[in-house]
Amino acid sequence: MDTYFLMQIINGLSSGMIYALIAIGFTLIFGVLNVVNFAHGEMYTIGAFAGIVCISTLSWPIALVIIVALAVGGFSGIILEKIAFKPFRRFQDEASLKSRAMRESTLLSSLAVSIIIKELLQHFFGAEMQSIPVQYLMNDPIPIGPISLSSGQFLILGSSVVMLAGLQYVLYHTRIGLSIRAISNNPLGAKYVGLSVDRTIIATFAVGSMLGGAAGIMVGLYSGAIFPAMGFAPSLKAFVAMVMGGLSSIPGAVICALILGVCEALATNFMTQGWSDMVAYSFLILTLIFFPQGIFGARRERV
Amino acid sequence: MITPDSSTRSWRSKILVAAILLIVLAVVPGVLSALGKSYYTQVANSALIYCILAASLNLITGTAGLLCLGHAAFFGIGAYTAALLASNYGLPFLVTLPLGGVVAGLAGVLVALPTMRLISIYFAVATLGVGEIIHVSLLNWISVTRGPMGVQIYDPITLFGHSFTSLLSIYYITAILACICVYLIWHLTNSYFGNALRSLREDDQCAEAMGINVSKLKVQTFAASTFFAGIAGALMAHSAGYISPESFQFSESILILAMVVVGGLGSLPGVLLGALLLIILPEAARGLGDMRMVAVGVVMFLSILLLPKGLLGETSAIEVARKYFNAAWSSRELAGWK
Repeated sequence: MDTYFLMQIINGLSSGMIYALIAIGFTLIFGVLNVVNFAHGEMYTIGAFAGIVCISTLSWPIALVIIVALAVGGFSGIILEKIAFKPFRRFQDEASLKSRAMRESTLLSSLAVSIIIKELLQHFFGAEMQSIPVQYLMNDPIPIGPISLSSGQFLILGSSVVMLAGLQYVLYHTRIGLSIRAISNNPLGAKYVGLSVDRTIIATFAVGSMLGGAAGIMVGLYSGAIFPAMGFAPSLKAFVAMVMGGLSSIPGAVICALILGVCEALATNFMTQGWSDMVAYSFLILTLIFFPQGIFGARRERV
Repeated sequence: MITPDSSTRSWRSKILVAAILLIVLAVVPGVLSALGKSYYTQVANSALIYCILAASLNLITGTAGLLCLGHAAFFGIGAYTAALLASNYGLPFLVTLPLGGVVAGLAGVLVALPTMRLISIYFAVATLGVGEIIHVSLLNWISVTRGPMGVQIYDPITLFGHSFTSLLSIYYITAILACICVYLIWHLTNSYFGNALRSLREDDQCAEAMGINVSKLKVQTFAASTFFAGIAGALMAHSAGYISPESFQFSESILILAMVVVGGLGSLPGVLLGALLLIILPEAARGLGDMRMVAVGVVMFLSILLLPKGLLGETSAIEVARKYFNAAWSSRELAGWK
C-alpha cells in the first residue's frame, strides 16, 4: 500500500474519532430522551472556546486545558438541558412521551438555543478565527517508519480511546450508567422501578456534552481553527454517523463515524476539498433510503 | 344557510380585506419612498418574498406535519435557475420566473420520491442532507454556478416592453406576485387536498387506512411547496440582481422554519405575520448591532416555550379569521372544515 494512502487513512481515522465523540453525545441523548439535540454542535464550540480562554489568559498546560474543556462542556450541557429540554418535559405520561408534537417542539427549541449560543459567541469573540499560540499548536511531525504523523493526531486518537474506555466504564460499571441504559431501554419501566428520570437525563447531557467539548478543544489545538460556526459541519457529520449507526447504538455510531472520516479523507484524492463534504450527505441519503433503521440499528418502534 | 344578509356581509368584508391589502402593500411603501426612505422599501420587498417562502413551507411543515429542514435549497434552485437563464441567455422575467418555479418543483419531486416513506425525524434529517447537498453543489460547481462569486443579473425586470428599474416598481411587482402566490396556497390548504394533508399530519397510518394515498400526497405537497419556493427564489434573484450561495444555507432554512413556528404551524395568516415579524424585527433592532440574530433566536425560543401554537395557532387563527373576515377568507364557510 502506498504510504500516502496510509497517511490519508490515519488522517481520516483522527477526524472520524472527532465525529465519533460528538456522535456519542447525540446517541446517548437520543437514547434517553428520544429527541435530537440540535444544540450539541454548540457544546463542541463552547469546549473549544473554553480551551482558548484558558490558553490565552491563564496559559495552562495542555492536559489541564482539556480537563477544563471537559468540565465546561459538561456544565453547559446541564444548563442546556435546564433551558431547552426541561420545560418541554412537563408531561411524563406515555402518550406525550411518544407524541410527535413534543418531540418536534424540543427539536425546535434546541435549534433556537443553538442559534442563540452561536450568535452570542460571535458577539463576544468576533466571527473571525481565533489564533492559538504556536507553542500550543499540535502540528509537530512525528515520523514512524516511512510515514509521518502529527502530534495532534496522536492526541486525538489517544485521548478519544481513553474517553471511549471511560464511557464504557461509566455505562457498564456505575449506577448512573445503569440508569442511563435502563431509561434508554424502557423509560416508563425505569420510572416505575424508582429511577430518577430527571437526574439521569441531566447525567446523560453532562456525559455527552463533556465528550463534545473535549472534541472541540482537541480539534482547535490540532487545526488551529476556532470560530463560532465551527460546530456546524462536524456535528452534521456526527449526526449522519448517528443516523447511519441506527440512532441508538453507540458502537454503531462510532464505527460509522470512523468509516465516514476515512471515506472523506480518501475522497480528497478524487475530488476537491469542497466536494468531499458531499460524501457524508450522500451516505446519509443512501442509508435512509436503503437502511431506514440504520446499518447497525436495533429494532425499534417506528420513530 | 346563506342568507342575503350574510352574502352582503361577505362582500363588505372582501372589500375590507382588499382595502387593507391596498393600504399595506401599495400606499405605505409609496409614502415611504416619497419621503426618501427607499431602504425600507427594500426591507418590505424582502419581507414579501419571505412571506411566499414561509407560506410554502407551511404547506409541508404546518399542514402536512413533515418537518423540512432544507427549504432554503429549493429557494436557491429557483433563484439560480432564474439568474443563470437571465444572465447567460438573456431570457425575460416572464420566462425565468415560471421556469425557476418549475425547476425547483421538479427538484422537490426528485427529493420527495426517495424520502416519502420516511417519517418524523428521519424525514427531517433527509431534508437537511438534501439541503446541504444542494448548498455544496451551488458552492463548488464553479463552471455552472460561478461558486462563491455568485451570479449577477444585468438586465432589469422587463414586462411587456416596459422595464422596471426603480425600487418602488420592483416592490409593486413583488407585492402583486406575493398576493397571487399566497392566494393560491390559501386555496390549496383549504381544499380537499389541504384536508387530506391535515389528516396526514394528525395520523398518517389512520389516513392511509381511510384510503388516502399517503406517498402520492407527500410527493404532490413537495411539488407544490417547492414550486412556490422556486418562484420566491426567482423573484429574489431578479429584485436583488445578485445572488450567492450564502443566501441558501442551513441557517436560512432555519430562519424560514422559525417564521412558520413563531407564526403558528398550519395557520397561513399566522405564518405571514411570523415572516413579517422576523424580517422587520432585525431591522427594527438595528440598534442592537450584531445581536440581531440573538433576538431572532430568543423570539423563536420564547414562542415555542410560551406559545406552543404560535402567534395565531391553526384553530385560533381560523377563529380570528371567521370572526373578523367571515366569508372573505373562505367561500365554503358553511360546508367547510371546522
